[in-house]
Amino acid sequence: MFLTGSKIPADLLGGSWYIYQRYAPLFWAGARTTLLISLSATVIGLIIGLIVASIRNVKFTPKDSFFSKFIKKFMHLIATIYIEVFRGTPMMVQAVFLYHGLRQYVMWSPIQAGIFIVSINTGAYMAEIIRAGIQSIDDGQYEAARSIGMTNTQAMIRIILPQAIRNAFPAIGNEFVVNIKDTSVLNVISVTELFFQSNSVAGIVFRYRDTFLVTAVIYLFLTFTTTQILRAIERKLDSPRGFGGASQSMPGNFPFLKRKEQKV
Amino acid sequence: MSLIKINNLNKSFGSNLVLKDINLTVEEKQVVCLIGSSGSGKSTLLRCINLLETPNGGEIIVDGQNIMTANFDINKFRSHVGMIFQSFNLFSHMNSIQNCMIGQTEVLKRSKSEAKAIALKYLEKVGMLDFANQSVKSLSGGQKQRVAIARALCMEPRILLLDEPTSALDPEMVGEVLEVIKQLAKEGLTMLIVTHEMSFAKDVADLIIFMDQGVVCEQGSAKEMFSNPKHPRTKEFLARILR
Ligand SMILES: Nc1ncnc2c1ncn2[C@@H]1O[C@H](COP(=O)(O)OP(=O)(O)OP(=O)(O)O)[C@@H](O)[C@H]1O
Ligand SMILES: [Mg+2]
Repeated sequence: MFLTGSKIPADLLGGSWYIYQRYAPLFWAGARTTLLISLSATVIGLIIGLIVASIRNVKFTPKDSFFSKFIKKFMHLIATIYIEVFRGTPMMVQAVFLYHGLRQYVMWSPIQAGIFIVSINTGAYMAEIIRAGIQSIDDGQYEAARSIGMTNTQAMIRIILPQAIRNAFPAIGNEFVVNIKDTSVLNVISVTELFFQSNSVAGIVFRYRDTFLVTAVIYLFLTFTTTQILRAIERKLDSPRGFGGASQSMPGNFPFLKRKEQKV
Repeated sequence: MSLIKINNLNKSFGSNLVLKDINLTVEEKQVVCLIGSSGSGKSTLLRCINLLETPNGGEIIVDGQNIMTANFDINKFRSHVGMIFQSFNLFSHMNSIQNCMIGQTEVLKRSKSEAKAIALKYLEKVGMLDFANQSVKSLSGGQKQRVAIARALCMEPRILLLDEPTSALDPEMVGEVLEVIKQLAKEGLTMLIVTHEMSFAKDVADLIIFMDQGVVCEQGSAKEMFSNPKHPRTKEFLARILR
């Protein structure tokens, strides 16, 4: 231990660079696990959020029978409890409780457990994000969908949710970035993500300061890159699509329209 | 048999009785204009007809069928009744032709290619063929409303309900939309139109209904209503609006 430590340059930058070069594969393996968990948990969390938000958005109609009213109320209640519990407790506590609590029923690896925990935690936040997204959509969109005969489900899936997701995209992307950082709490259940790996390296070299500078830079690299990619996607979503006409001929039915319109 | 027959229709929001014992008959191919001051219940009546609002009492009989019975297939019914909104309500994440196709493919289960051909046909009819692939966000108000009309027509409705189709438009765009509606009237589409455009109503309506405070105050042909209104409220309203 002493011998390993003594070869490392004493200054912060020199020490960090030395540690990074020596243990790069460990750091990057950790970073890969961090990305794997945060990306898959964000996607799964988004799906959970869509489902939960849709459940919470189900409206009561005067035509509902007593039974369907009861089911709807019950589902609302479950959804609300889920959101409150997972937003109201630390993910670190959820991780320890669920990993150990469920291990007697499911034989899962720490990484599987990690993805599960971050997913349901993210789902609770996503549900609120999607709900805000749904609320930002004008009621007229829903009414127009219903007025052409779409069912509630069709209106949700084809009309409301695509727009809600688009509006909520910055917040959804932000959840991903938050997850990259927050997966670090999974070290408590020994998931070999970036923080856990860094801790191991620091334990070997016995240089916490220098090791965690490397860790911080890698986290920053991950979040910065992710943010840039998300921005690019957002710009792409905003850019107008499909210009130009389907046909060059002017309709004959309404001659008064001729050349009155200019394409923008 | 009349296409739409409304008997003693009542609708309230909370304790606010908005429609009071409405009785109304609309014949096939008839164009009916609903006029009346703000808050008189015109929109609510229109929205009751395709059950966007649930009435509290009475009957709405369309094509011999009471649409207010418990096991009535509302979605199928709505696919036969077009609705045009004051604020267009085009699906804003789609372009014009997608707006016209989605109801056909989702509700009527038409194939994509069939839906596309029909969409193009009606976009041409409303003079919006050149804008088929354009995002609806970039259209002017008049263009949006014409796409909305095309979207409704693609469902090949038996009845078209129009709630102040030109009220949100700049004056120079009102004409292009009214022209489309006039053309539809000429072709014999049954329409109920809420409008504040009296000269248009005079032009196009077979029947004019004047509503006041939730009741049908007076109804008659355009000629009768405008040249010889009987009810004092009608006279007052027309005097105010025609000036
Ligand atoms: N969703 C609603 N909840 C509560 N009250 C409503 C609702 N919709 C309409 N009302 C009320 O019902 C009455 C009739 O409204 P309605 O929109 O049918 O009038 P209108 O004749 O269409 O008026 P306008 O010319 O301004 O469009 C008004 O007093 C209105 O405040
Ligand atoms: Mg109205």
